Amino acid sequence: MAERDAAEATMSHQAPERSSIPSGDNTVWADISPLLDAACKELGDGEMIHGENFNLFAAMSALEIMDPKMDSGIVSKYCSLDEAIEDGAAPVPLSHDKTIDVQSIIDIMDHLLACEATWHSGHSLAQTVFSCIYLLRLDRTSSHAILHSYCRVIRATCKAVVSVVSDARTHEEEDLFSMTYGLPLDGDGDEKCLSFLNAVEETICRQLRACKAPSSKKRVLEDIEPLQHNLDLEEGFCKALLCRLRFRKHFFHTLACMRRPQGRGFEMARKHIASCILELESILKSAEFLRFGVCGTCEDGIEDKTTASGHTPIGFDASLNSRSAAPTPPRAIKILSWKRAVEYFVKLLHDLDVICSYSLDPSLEGVLRFVVQFQKSKPDLVARAHLQVLLVQDGKLYGRYPIFAVITKASALPEFTKNHDIQKSECFMQLGQLVINMLKILCTNAAWQRRKLGKILQDWRVIYVQLELALRNEVGEVSSNMDDEKMSVKILRHVLNWVEEQTYWIASRFLMLGFELDLYSPSEYCMVYWYLYVVLIKLAEKTHFRMAVSNEPIKRKGKKKKDSLKDVAKESRVHPAILFLQCHMCLAEGLTMMLAALRNDLMVLQSQNPFNTEQERFLQHFELLQKACIPDHISYPSFKESTSYARLSVSIL
Amino acid sequence: MEQKVETTETLVESSAGSDTKGSNHISRVRKLLCRRMLVGIKDGRFFLGSFHCIDKQGNIILQDAVEYRSTRRTSPSPMEQRCLGIILIPSSCRTSCHVDCSIDEQLSLLKVDQ
Repeated sequence: MAERDAAEATMSHQAPERSSIPSGDNTVWADISPLLDAACKELGDGEMIHGENFNLFAAMSALEIMDPKMDSGIVSKYCSLDEAIEDGAAPVPLSHDKTIDVQSIIDIMDHLLACEATWHSGHSLAQTVFSCIYLLRLDRTSSHAILHSYCRVIRATCKAVVSVVSDARTHEEEDLFSMTYGLPLDGDGDEKCLSFLNAVEETICRQLRACKAPSSKKRVLEDIEPLQHNLDLEEGFCKALLCRLRFRKHFFHTLACMRRPQGRGFEMARKHIASCILELESILKSAEFLRFGVCGTCEDGIEDKTTASGHTPIGFDASLNSRSAAPTPPRAIKILSWKRAVEYFVKLLHDLDVICSYSLDPSLEGVLRFVVQFQKSKPDLVARAHLQVLLVQDGKLYGRYPIFAVITKASALPEFTKNHDIQKSECFMQLGQLVINMLKILCTNAAWQRRKLGKILQDWRVIYVQLELALRNEVGEVSSNMDDEKMSVKILRHVLNWVEEQTYWIASRFLMLGFELDLYSPSEYCMVYWYLYVVLIKLAEKTHFRMAVSNEPIKRKGKKKKDSLKDVAKESRVHPAILFLQCHMCLAEGLTMMLAALRNDLMVLQSQNPFNTEQERFLQHFELLQKACIPDHISYPSFKESTSYARLSVSIL
Repeated sequence: MEQKVETTETLVESSAGSDTKGSNHISRVRKLLCRRMLVGIKDGRFFLGSFHCIDKQGNIILQDAVEYRSTRRTSPSPMEQRCLGIILIPSSCRTSCHVDCSIDEQLSLLKVDQ
């Protein structure tokens, strides 16, 4: 009896919360803490109570509750978004003092910029931009015009950027970027966000004019309520707000223009990009006013702050979203400093500008050259996603040129071949897919790119073999339409050569990226340059063959007919593309020999690894190339043979 | 590990003669394995899952756990829930532990031999 009373007492103590967690039908919750304690006392050291299905290894993957690295639901300050709002974590308006209200909203704008840059750099939206309580409940801000319009444009911008990156599917090491579970990204009427912004901009412009006007005119413009009440600070605040609002406007326009298919909006986008950069400069300049002009004090340690003024913004809490962030373990992230964020956007805009200035070269060679050059500036994910979406649209180059046409042009075939039926064959469909994949891979980050390029070498080899087979069949068959057969044979021959050329190009990119990624130790440079040299020999061979069978004459600029003698001489010279490759070859060969000579004569740069031999390292580095026989008959012994007699002494030459 | 389990059982069996209370508590807890267990922790959250394992320190592993959390700290309010999978609840943060059972069984579970 007493036990039952005690039991009920235990139960009712917990009742308010637990009663909302139902037990089964006709069952109750029984407190077993005393029983557990007693059982645990009787267990021996290291003993556990578990069933037959218990597996220690599987149990190790259990999330530990209350461990900040594993438990994303730890209740810190607020249990929920509503609680935070009720507690006044995100007041609207931000302050009843208009000056503080304006100051605070500028801080929020700056912090959001820093969050956005942090998001772009590879973190989740939930922990960055959407740590803003105002954004999570946008409707609450409708009474505050500036805050409301700014939040709307941020939401619309984020949505646009997520859309581009998702379309491109530019895989990065961690696909955190486009995770938007449970985040309110879809806003009704966000397309009109710019009209809200324009209205707000207009008002602030008038307020700026009013405060700058000499006092006699002021009486006339008295009907404009000032932005805030401290007249000395009015001009500074108006300007600070204006450049921030205008930046967002132009940035949103840039994204919208760049999304237009086939690069139609690029010219317009460039204008907006230029405006963005100007506004960013103004934003940077406003920092001095916001830091010193307002409170007259100088804050040290401003470098790390996420706002221009150095103050902490109100209305942000990253933990509120942690539960909806992702099933991955929580991670503490550091929001970029405001200065770094501005620098990030300047770079992003420059990269986008390069894309917008691209001439949409219909030749594949031109595309590859452009992409390789663009990647040298180490563009970030958002810029690269835009490039990929431009290059590959609806399975066509720029959404304009069908892939088969691109291939025939690259293979130096006459233009009418682009309509040939052979494009419908299995081989050519696959080849088209390979080309599209290659273009997409070239837009990814260096590490991912190298990995994927290594993998596709095998695919390109396979397609070569298949095309070779097709050619043999075509040549063997006697078709009723002799012209058609001749054409398909010609197409196959040209494309075969081009596929080889392209394969060697991919191999050379694979090797070169290894340098960019610091994958080779100095003792391995010799073998890498040697391999590069043999690949380049083949590449030059194939390129030369393509040029030789090309029907197009080498283009001359502005030469008239009467210079015909000179022209003839010029035509017999080597094509610039071949010359360039030959330069590369010579460089690679020279470096190989120099490094080999240094090793042979002076014993420098020797492999000192006790774990594996030079041959093993050779095989490790070039495994993917060797598997795909790129090039054929190349092996470690041939490397040794080529380099063992290299000497520094000039007399050998 | 299988051997370890058997040794444990033989240990318990062999000590059964000398210490009836020990094997009684442990075997009763063993009978609760795979039952629905509700664990409350310090910050006010509750976890409902299948009882999978407990060690000498009192750390509990639950399978297919669901986290329950109140949306307001102070006043009573609806609970939010989400699924977590397999979790480990350290004994240091555990404040309560209940098992889903029939009313008849409840009495026997509350009984602890002294």
